Amino acid sequence: MILWMHEARLLLRQRLAVIALGLLTVLTMAALAAGMAEISRQRAAIAAIPVAQAEDIGAIAAWVDKDKDAGSAGYYSFHPTWDTPSPLAFAALGMRDVAPYILRVRALGLEAQIYDGDTFNPELALPGRFDFAFVLVFLAPLFVIALCHDLISGEREAGRWRTLAALPNGGAALWRRRTWLRLALLWAVLGVPFAVAAAISGVEITAILAILLLILAYLLFWAGLSVLIGRLRWSSVANAASLAALWLVLVLVLPTLGHVAINRAVPLEQGAEIALAQREAVNHAWDIPREKTMGRFYASHPQWANSAPLGAAFHYKWYFAFHQVGDESVSDKVREYRRGLESRDRIARGLGWVLPSIGVQTLLTSMARTDLAAQLAHRDHIHDYHRRLREFYYGYLFRDRPFGKADFERAPQFDEES
Amino acid sequence: MTEALTPILIDDLAVTYGNHQVLAGLSLSAPAGSVTALLGGNGAGKSTTLSALLGFVKASSGRVSVCGIDPRTAPDEARRHIAYLPENVALYEHLTAVENAQYLLALSGGKQDRAAIAAAFAAAGLQERGWDQRLGAFSKGMRQKVAIAVALLREVPVLLLDEPTSGLDPRATADFNALVLAVRGRGTAVLMVTHDLLGAAHISDRICFLECGRIVQDVAAQGPERFDVRALHARFAAPAKGLAA
Repeated sequence: MILWMHEARLLLRQRLAVIALGLLTVLTMAALAAGMAEISRQRAAIAAIPVAQAEDIGAIAAWVDKDKDAGSAGYYSFHPTWDTPSPLAFAALGMRDVAPYILRVRALGLEAQIYDGDTFNPELALPGRFDFAFVLVFLAPLFVIALCHDLISGEREAGRWRTLAALPNGGAALWRRRTWLRLALLWAVLGVPFAVAAAISGVEITAILAILLLILAYLLFWAGLSVLIGRLRWSSVANAASLAALWLVLVLVLPTLGHVAINRAVPLEQGAEIALAQREAVNHAWDIPREKTMGRFYASHPQWANSAPLGAAFHYKWYFAFHQVGDESVSDKVREYRRGLESRDRIARGLGWVLPSIGVQTLLTSMARTDLAAQLAHRDHIHDYHRRLREFYYGYLFRDRPFGKADFERAPQFDEES
Repeated sequence: MTEALTPILIDDLAVTYGNHQVLAGLSLSAPAGSVTALLGGNGAGKSTTLSALLGFVKASSGRVSVCGIDPRTAPDEARRHIAYLPENVALYEHLTAVENAQYLLALSGGKQDRAAIAAAFAAAGLQERGWDQRLGAFSKGMRQKVAIAVALLREVPVLLLDEPTSGLDPRATADFNALVLAVRGRGTAVLMVTHDLLGAAHISDRICFLECGRIVQDVAAQGPERFDVRALHARFAAPAKGLAA
């Protein structure tokens, strides 16, 4: 214990070490604060939905109630869906910054509504937001390098190596102790603020412990690399340069090349192209006989086939039908898109076994439920909710039932758990 | 004297770095309470001899023992019996003299009592006002006093000195020599690597001349069989082939 205290004093008297630890503390706390603020903002936005929705629906209901047209009710009513962040989401925002966490859907064609916002700048999406995962994956290795690159070479250059090595506890045990001390301090600087933030956010203790272990494992990887480079007996400058190059390759270059390779191996249309195709199909419906559209719709939805035939005037059931037919026209693309996304995600996860930076990021977003799987699950909930919405409105539209003020309250509510 | 009781024992030691043989059949022993000086030109193998005693280098043949312990197979155990002062004592400049001593003593497994350290500093001739100063402004002599104080506190049977007086002024050299003699008086075997024949003649009991990895002359430095410094200096300063003859 005495030796550990001496080593701690020795380290904490070094200005560079203190600056490095202080800077990492500030970065960690800033990232945690930024993550918590973002999640808090998202929670507040989600919490504000019921009031805003009630106002919105109230205004529409007052207007619709005049002629009790179910089509107008379905057309003008937006129904909110939301993706409540998990308690751990503050640590790894993952896809929450590129995918909408609140989506107001109408009972019209869904795919265009979902994929309308599915465009983002891939260069910005690659490193992600400034959150705890960013600090851990991208920045923490630099601090490990700063503190560990000259453990032995620094002593050799200062002329102390022989003095230390000639002491009974000054051999390999000394370097191990120094490495572990630096790791422990870096781990504490990352782990303690994280644990406090996680406890405040209501994260389960098992998840906190798992992430603390993950932090330790990632730091250990970089400390191990530093030790390996240190064994080559190069100068401190050469060690630092080599480790910085390794950081560049392992954290930036290889993940980026991996990303490009995965995208090439699994070519995929953008989600926006699905939205475009769906819109084109919907728009095309204006140019073809309405009976053709209704025939296609009734063929796939025979439960409404006994609805009264269309008259000469515009009827919303035709409008809703061609929206649904538009959705169905891109269903293959949607399935293919989803399969492609899952396939890319699977390969990226595999890459995580080789590249620790990707592995840590994948694990963090998976635990925080901010990864692709969580996004796809959320889309499934939206699809399911949208299906219930359609059935609800179709019950009025295709049976020519009047839609009054009270009927708005019967509309299905979005439930994340369903 | 048995091997276990002989603090320093080197027998027919050979050390090779790649294709270069640094030590070639070196034999040397230093009893307790003695000062042995090891002299030789650059590359003669002086520092390698110290490295072998510290367990830093692997012998290709021969034997090394420190108080009966092979430093190669049990380096930590051997180092418990050794205090080592390199040519340039480099300590931690951002720690005070007392903190440096405490740290080195902690690494040696010894007590870090401040009173004992103060007493050792006083014995080593380090002025009290320097005890709690950071070492950044210390001269080489002052740093050596810190290091020798640590060696005194460790009370080990073997003290290895690598060019201890190079770069010291005459006053500091005299202080240092007095310390070495005090250490010898406590029964420590001192092995000193040096270029300074006259300095070695002043405090050593024996002087060994090392050339091409082996001892070519082993003479008494004190007593009735004391060597003739002038003759030896003339011979030592002559071209290498003269010694080898």
